[in-house]
Amino acid sequence: MALVNARTPLELPSGAETTVRRPLGVFQRPVRPTGWRSWVFTVDHKKVGIMYGAGSLLFFLVGGIEALLIRTQLARPGLKVLSADLFNQVFTMHGVTMIFLVVMPLQAAFANYLIPLQIGTRDVAFPRLNALSFWIWLFGSIFFNTSWFLGGGADGGWFNYAPNNGVIFSPGHGIDFYAVGLQIIGVASLISAVNLIVTVINMRAPGMTWFKLPVFTWMALVTQFLLLFALPVIAVALFLLTFDRLYGSNFFNASLGGDPMLWEHLFWIFGHPEVYIMIMPSFGIVSEIIPVFSRKPIFGYPFMVFSGIAIGFMGWGVWAHHMFASGIGPMSVMAFSLSTMFIAVPTGVKILNWLATMWGGRLRFSTAMLFAIGLVTMFTIGGLSGVTHAFAPADTQQTDTYYIVAHFHYVLFGGALLAIFGGFYFWWPKMFGYRLGEKVGKWNFWLMLIGFNLTFGPMHILGLQGMSRRIFTYSPDQGFDFWNMVATIGAFTIAVSVLVFFANIITSFRKHRRTQEVVSGDPWDARGLEWMIPSPAPEHNYDEIPVVTELDEFWHRKYGHDEEGHLVRIASAEEVSQKGDATNVHLPSPSYWPIVLAAGLPFIGYGVIYNLAWAVLGGLLLLAGVFGWVMEPSTDPEADHGLHGGDDLEPTAEAAFEEAAAGEGDPQAELEEAPR
Amino acid sequence: MIRRTSIRRAVWAATSSALVLVAAGCGLHDDEKPLNTLAPKGKQADEIYSLVTPVFLVAGVVFVLVMGAALYLAIRYRRRKDDVDGVDEPIQRHGNTPLEWGWTILPALVLAVLAIGNVKTIWTLENDQRDAPMEVEVIGQQWWWEFRYDVDGDRKPDVITANQLVIPAGTTVRLAIQSNDVIHSFWIPMLSGKKDAVPGRTHHWAITAAEPGIFQGQCTEFCGLSHAYMRMEVKALSQADYDKWIEHQMAAPEEPSAGSEAEAGKQVFFTKCASCHQVNGYDDTGKKLDTHQPNGDYRGAQHPLIAGNAPNLTHIMSRDKFARNMFQLYEDGAKLEGVLPEGDPNAGTLGSWLRNPPGMKPMNADANRGMPNLQLPEDEIRKLVAYLTLLK
Repeated sequence: MALVNARTPLELPSGAETTVRRPLGVFQRPVRPTGWRSWVFTVDHKKVGIMYGAGSLLFFLVGGIEALLIRTQLARPGLKVLSADLFNQVFTMHGVTMIFLVVMPLQAAFANYLIPLQIGTRDVAFPRLNALSFWIWLFGSIFFNTSWFLGGGADGGWFNYAPNNGVIFSPGHGIDFYAVGLQIIGVASLISAVNLIVTVINMRAPGMTWFKLPVFTWMALVTQFLLLFALPVIAVALFLLTFDRLYGSNFFNASLGGDPMLWEHLFWIFGHPEVYIMIMPSFGIVSEIIPVFSRKPIFGYPFMVFSGIAIGFMGWGVWAHHMFASGIGPMSVMAFSLSTMFIAVPTGVKILNWLATMWGGRLRFSTAMLFAIGLVTMFTIGGLSGVTHAFAPADTQQTDTYYIVAHFHYVLFGGALLAIFGGFYFWWPKMFGYRLGEKVGKWNFWLMLIGFNLTFGPMHILGLQGMSRRIFTYSPDQGFDFWNMVATIGAFTIAVSVLVFFANIITSFRKHRRTQEVVSGDPWDARGLEWMIPSPAPEHNYDEIPVVTELDEFWHRKYGHDEEGHLVRIASAEEVSQKGDATNVHLPSPSYWPIVLAAGLPFIGYGVIYNLAWAVLGGLLLLAGVFGWVMEPSTDPEADHGLHGGDDLEPTAEAAFEEAAAGEGDPQAELEEAPR
Repeated sequence: MIRRTSIRRAVWAATSSALVLVAAGCGLHDDEKPLNTLAPKGKQADEIYSLVTPVFLVAGVVFVLVMGAALYLAIRYRRRKDDVDGVDEPIQRHGNTPLEWGWTILPALVLAVLAIGNVKTIWTLENDQRDAPMEVEVIGQQWWWEFRYDVDGDRKPDVITANQLVIPAGTTVRLAIQSNDVIHSFWIPMLSGKKDAVPGRTHHWAITAAEPGIFQGQCTEFCGLSHAYMRMEVKALSQADYDKWIEHQMAAPEEPSAGSEAEAGKQVFFTKCASCHQVNGYDDTGKKLDTHQPNGDYRGAQHPLIAGNAPNLTHIMSRDKFARNMFQLYEDGAKLEGVLPEGDPNAGTLGSWLRNPPGMKPMNADANRGMPNLQLPEDEIRKLVAYLTLLK
């Protein structure tokens, strides 16, 4: 219930009169449709997605520089580019940055941008919460990085084992920033998970049953469930750590009855689903790209969906494969070794189904397609090395060596990140109205692929020949010199490819500005609903919510098939696309409160670490945000952002269905007029 | 025509990459690389290697098949320049359920077969440890390894050494791995896999050296500043030599002759070093005790170290390296593989260490973790070196 006071009369279809009541409040709602305010106070899922993407790319540069520092220090034995202390901080921050500040938010960027579009709706279920997630993530990430300027970054590794993570062994504030910073960032993902789950369950377009959901939305949905259940576990671990470090508890202190293994278990119960969280949306991206550029549907849609669900479930039963050498006892080792071996099965199914999609197709090697095939091949390598250490005795030789570093970079960089780059090239026209250059894109891809293999391929050899992880240097008599140098050269090659990517963005944008050309809504002749609307996507997404009758609905409005299964064109893209010019759409209004609320959290963080006065300030901001939010209606009745054509209230979709059920009116026409 | 050329191309590419892999693989077994997991020199490492070989083979085959398929498909089904959109379009296959079930079940079966070897090896390694005829305590702390031998079975250590674990060749040894501070991991790649040292727990793990030799190791669980420099080695001796070694370790320490520089060094030692470092048969003030059995609970009066103590130096010159097995105690050309090393002591490196330990290895000495710079004057350093190089 909003607090309101009366103002102008409102005409209802029945002829009765009533008054519109303006909400009470000190501030008018932000209404600017352009400029920085339209981004900072937006609740539009597309803008939120783009901001996630931009923020992540910025942190990608930070994490990348940290990687280059590591590789420079390790290029030759005995170098002193980084002291041991600084090296420990750099590799810790590199890991945390790449996982929580790059790959996860990039997946969130695509999930936020695409899910409402792919399910045929106008926004997520809770738009202000969506904005809140982003601002919490951004402020948490900045907070985490301020540790560099406040005494040093976290230095216990991203996995941060106890008791090394405790105050005796790591007395500086770095790990406090890790504990509090990740706590804050975790809240963002948790909120987003709830939001997207509710969105997919409740807001699918009419006719879009579960087995007509695009594969990306399925994979992203499984990811949200993984987030929902995994994040509370790391939250508990981080709380216990914070209490041990700041308030003198002893959860991980063996000499006083605590147990360092507790941290390991809690961390990895989160940590294993975490890696599926990072890879599954990329599996979804590849499942969208390959069919489009093979001109065939995804091979085995049900198996793709079920294997994703299977991975989601099985991922909970393998965590102690990170602990095969930790002393968990042979029974546990055996159980987790077997479960880890078998999780390769659903993953392998996906690889084969992607290949089968290409089989018999008519392949077009756009940059997006190259990146997608990149995941298929590079993830296979990472997956195979993973299977080799599913065998626990083998893992007692391989764990904590560069062989593992090679494995996870192949699945995360060669897998998750390559697909994300593919996603950029694929959906860029939908987001911004112009394509990223294809010629420069090919340079981006090949440099990245070659650099990546040069960097991480040799690490398999280094690991098997005994090079431990997390060492700031090595000695010439250990035999690691040659491949480390090769890996460093590869790392700088990756750096060049990343610069090429950014150069591509700049030159493509400039060309778009100069020529004023806007690409069509369907530049790739693609399959999903999101290609049915103009590029860039209009703020309200769909003029009319589409009614879905099959998987790849948009494709089937353009193409039918003959008796032999060959494609037959039945309509052009323009004929079945929407114009984007609807004027009677109610949209959720922008709001100040998400960013205000989010701003409270870093202050609470500083307060917990330094001086509780800051926490009080943060708490006040938080409360102000909560109260302001609660008292504000989700849509400003006075809102006029160019789309609300007047005061006439249109029937909602539900009303239209009810009327149809009661035998009145034409449901299809009602639906088409519904302002949802 | 096109199909045959592209198949040929793909086969050529796949075979050549397979050959490259095999060639690279052959080079992998180099036992000049001291930490090579693929050059097993003992029963446990052999058992692991025997499991790993078929697994790598299967993985290699899958790799070649998948890469080959990707290459073949990319070439064979690429859009040709003269294809007309809307006319030259592929058949819209949606799937093939029997095929998909097939490629779900087949990998599962392959894995099930490999799982047999997996489970067998897990339990063999466990039984190796349970049935081992002798045990040595291995204690990790920042940033060195201590080894304790209970020769007479009275639950009190008879030998306490550091950095170099001496075992009889051909005998399986059970290691009782512990930690005094943070989590470390004990790993001698040529002899066995690794096992973590977790404070508050003891982990048992088997290790065997088939033949006499020296085998290098590295701490493999991130443990702070000097993790990279926390090294150790295993020296395997014939049973006869091992018995001699044990006897030597249990003997009283060498005493310096009266009036020598070494005796002056001994005085310095008990003033400056004994609060952390033990020499058997003396307490931390230099008072001679009745027994020269090492004190398992040795703490200097001030016991400043968080981990408790520093390496026992009674027979330091019977080892070949010091300071986490990083620096040589003997000049190049010394014979290191017998019961005791034979050669010239490396006074220079020892002196450098005493001059500034944190300068040679990163440590948190001011937080009581690691050896501090004691600001020793040069003459004291000389005397200490004279004493220490005596302690064989």
